Amino acid sequence: MKRAALLGAAVIIYVSVAWSLAPGFYDGFAPQQPYNWVCPPFHISANLPPSSGHLDIKVIGGVSDANSAFTDDGQVVVGFLPGAFDVTGKTSIAIDIKPVDPCPKPASLTVVTNAYLITADAPLVKPANLVLRYSDVVPAPSTLYYAVSADGPWTSIGAGSEAQPFTINTRTSKFGYFVAGYPAGAVSSGGLRTQILPIAVALLIIGVLVAGIPLAILRRRQAAPPDDEETGEAEP
Amino acid sequence: MLSVLRARPAARAAVIAAYVLLAGWTRVLFSSAPQAAAPVLVIGGVALAVTAIGWGPARLGLGTSHLALRVVGGCALAVALLLPAATRASAAPLLPLSLALPAVVVSIGEEVAFRGALYAALEDLGGARLAIVGGTALWTASHALSHPPEFLLAVAAAGLLLAIWRWACNDLVAPIIGHVIADLAL
Repeated sequence: MKRAALLGAAVIIYVSVAWSLAPGFYDGFAPQQPYNWVCPPFHISANLPPSSGHLDIKVIGGVSDANSAFTDDGQVVVGFLPGAFDVTGKTSIAIDIKPVDPCPKPASLTVVTNAYLITADAPLVKPANLVLRYSDVVPAPSTLYYAVSADGPWTSIGAGSEAQPFTINTRTSKFGYFVAGYPAGAVSSGGLRTQILPIAVALLIIGVLVAGIPLAILRRRQAAPPDDEETGEAEP
Repeated sequence: MLSVLRARPAARAAVIAAYVLLAGWTRVLFSSAPQAAAPVLVIGGVALAVTAIGWGPARLGLGTSHLALRVVGGCALAVALLLPAATRASAAPLLPLSLALPAVVVSIGEEVAFRGALYAALEDLGGARLAIVGGTALWTASHALSHPPEFLLAVAAAGLLLAIWRWACNDLVAPIIGHVIADLAL
């Protein structure tokens, strides 16, 4: 009984501690840093505003240097190859990344990140690599979208293979407004899994009860005294 | 080397403890590199499972008796581990599909290392109490780089639950099953 009581106590302690964490405890591979929202989802209580970013790229020998612009919270990274810009008449290129407030709410897509306005004072001649981090508490986006104005229209610019967990990336030859999301009406694989989790746990509970109770009764009947606890050779 | 360590329980426990911490922290540090997450997690999980070398299956808690009960126990542990997240599903994090296999390998590796080899080494050194408390402390420390500080108490509570199961039921099969299901879901 002592072992069962300690096991029960450990379950209660774990569930209590895990329940007290917002947005919920999980093990594994989620990003360490919570996502900073302009417009947080309804279930996010604690939120910090997202950061902007600025970069000056040097022009050396008539060629813009390779470099990466990023926001201070790391939610957006834009990588530039050497010679990525048309540097006519320039000695340096200024790049700015700003979260867009108010949040765009296009009817044609479900947005799962902040929208960011990325600008530079010179046009691109080589595509830049754009990486947006997304939150681990929303469905995963399927693509990145681009718009000239915050009001849209938003155009899909695709998504590459996931370089790091909870990031989405693509290449862009234009500056403007960027968000990650998926078409409205489409079911994100992440969203489906979110709905499946409670169902899966309910099925597990049913499975444990249906299989476990008869097994436990059978074992009790087969067990010869003294029982396992007293011998110290406990088994499941 | 293994025979020398077998004769010195304190040295063996210290070597396994240092190894699992090093393997866990190295995995976390390297898994953030671009395109590296999945392979590094798999290698890290295998590296942890290496600690099983030199231990018999029964000593690790991997016996086959009452296998059906062990499997059901694993499902029960998964229920306990997932219950807080499942009851607030809208906020549950989502494991990318590309990380499913790494999640399985890491879960098995962590259980074999912490509730298997490390538990057995600490139990040989100072009994079940040291195995549970010491193993849980090292388990929590190994997660210090991968989880935000406010999560570490829950990490410790999960480690304590799995370690108490290992002690109470002399079983590692259920913790492996429970850990794998929980990590696949989250």
